[in-house]
Amino acid sequence: MGRPSAFAQYKTLLAKDLRQEFRTREMLTSMGIYALLVIIVYGAALALTARGIDIANMGGGLLWVLIVFTSLLGLGRSFAHEKEQACMDGIMLVPLDRSVIFLAKATANILFMLAVEVITVPLFYFFFMSGQPVAATFFWVVAPLLVGTIGMAGIGTMLSTITMNTRSRDVMLAILFIPLIYPLLYACVTATTAAIAGTEFWTDFFVMPLVLACGYDVVMLLVCWVLYDFVVSA
Amino acid sequence: MVEKKVRIPEAGQWPDKLALPALAAGAVLTTVGFLMAFLFAAPVNGAALDTPELVNGVMVTHQQLISQKIFYFHMPVAIVSFVMLIFSAYYGIRFLTTREQRFDTCSRVAMELTLLFVIFTMVTGDLWTRFEWGVWWTWEPRLTTYLILMLIVIAYFVMRNSIDDPERRATYASVISLIAFVDVPICFMITRLIPSSVHPVIAREGGMTPDMAATVLVVMIGMMLVAFGLYRLRFREARLAERLQALKDQLED
Amino acid sequence: MNPILADIYATVIPSAPFIIAAYAILWLALLVYVIKVVSGLKKTEAQMAVLEEAVRAKEGGVSR
Repeated sequence: MGRPSAFAQYKTLLAKDLRQEFRTREMLTSMGIYALLVIIVYGAALALTARGIDIANMGGGLLWVLIVFTSLLGLGRSFAHEKEQACMDGIMLVPLDRSVIFLAKATANILFMLAVEVITVPLFYFFFMSGQPVAATFFWVVAPLLVGTIGMAGIGTMLSTITMNTRSRDVMLAILFIPLIYPLLYACVTATTAAIAGTEFWTDFFVMPLVLACGYDVVMLLVCWVLYDFVVSA
Repeated sequence: MVEKKVRIPEAGQWPDKLALPALAAGAVLTTVGFLMAFLFAAPVNGAALDTPELVNGVMVTHQQLISQKIFYFHMPVAIVSFVMLIFSAYYGIRFLTTREQRFDTCSRVAMELTLLFVIFTMVTGDLWTRFEWGVWWTWEPRLTTYLILMLIVIAYFVMRNSIDDPERRATYASVISLIAFVDVPICFMITRLIPSSVHPVIAREGGMTPDMAATVLVVMIGMMLVAFGLYRLRFREARLAERLQALKDQLED
Repeated sequence: MNPILADIYATVIPSAPFIIAAYAILWLALLVYVIKVVSGLKKTEAQMAVLEEAVRAKEGGVSR
């Protein structure tokens, strides 16, 4: 019986994370509630200006702030279970290419974040944007959301592995995560705002940022893939 | 099978003898550049005048700006800071491939100098922006990218302080320096390429005249020499501190 | 002064404090850093000398 292929190992690791999440629903509920709480804080923050602000133009940015902070929460917890139960040592005993661990964890994080976004985007619309007609291009928001989530999950998984062993784990993750994803965030916010606002020349502000965000994803995921072996073996 | 011996950098070698002369040469060159900036390079044109005027036999059609003179130091320090980041990432790669702790020291010292020169870039850029545009901060590509770089380098040092195991600390630090090295050009490109009102691309008018280019070159070489001299000095101090610690540990046994 | 000449050089005096501040901060910061590194070097070298003395004394005491 030969060694299982890398893809089989990847599937097993991914299935482990997904199964654990289905059983406890711990991360999804905590991320979902956290997103709702951030929206409530928005409600207070925008209290005085709610009538006046141009929610179509600001909505993109507010949505991405929500996603970034919810992701920080989710990413910080993604290795919590491995660390508490010392599962990481068990995984390291298996003779596998370490980057497979990275891929499996990153995929799991992407799926969780996408699940939370499926809930929060309609919630955001419900709370802030139902007063105005939806632009025809609104559904193009899916593209930057997808690309941005993939990039954030990739870098976030790598940084989460690094900060898993440091003191003040969550703060360290935030300090490293936010400057590193700034270009991705900027590109995705531009694209999202263009899609939500749906003005006449919206493709100018949509296509180029999306392409750049994809470029960011490819480069960063490649770098993280290559370096993951060093990080997880340390 | 003979293993190739890895040459690791050490303090007190021949580059150290060059350190102080390099520092002195750098100081001289930057002073020369400073004088050149004000006496040699022509001032840059600002807003157009209503009526041109003959000054010293030359027709002057614009307001003459001397605030642009900050640029002669702003660009060289920006470039030197990025060069230092490249060195830090290079030593990071060397560490990851050889596991020699010495490379981690080199990487850390290079990062310190990156931080120093990034602060210079931000200070000069900020003061220039304050005068030209009347605001203390604009989210333009260069300033934003250097702010992000500064935050990443600060995060690097915070992370180094929060890990005690030297091997792990060095590994994580090398990885972060590599990720930073990849991320900063991307950040610069993205903020430059995406049209936005919040991140205005402050276009420099035209190219550089020869006298401007000469001044920038002089200051750049001077700053590189200063950076080299500082790097060797700081590396010597770091190495000495390490040997001190090793001796102390030896004494305690 | 000729009003047009005054207009040509209108931005010089307002911008002077910023330029001076920029160069002065740069120069001061570099000076501070160099002083910090050199004094750190001197202190560490002094500690080194003390330690070497201690090692020599210890080995001198043992090998007697």
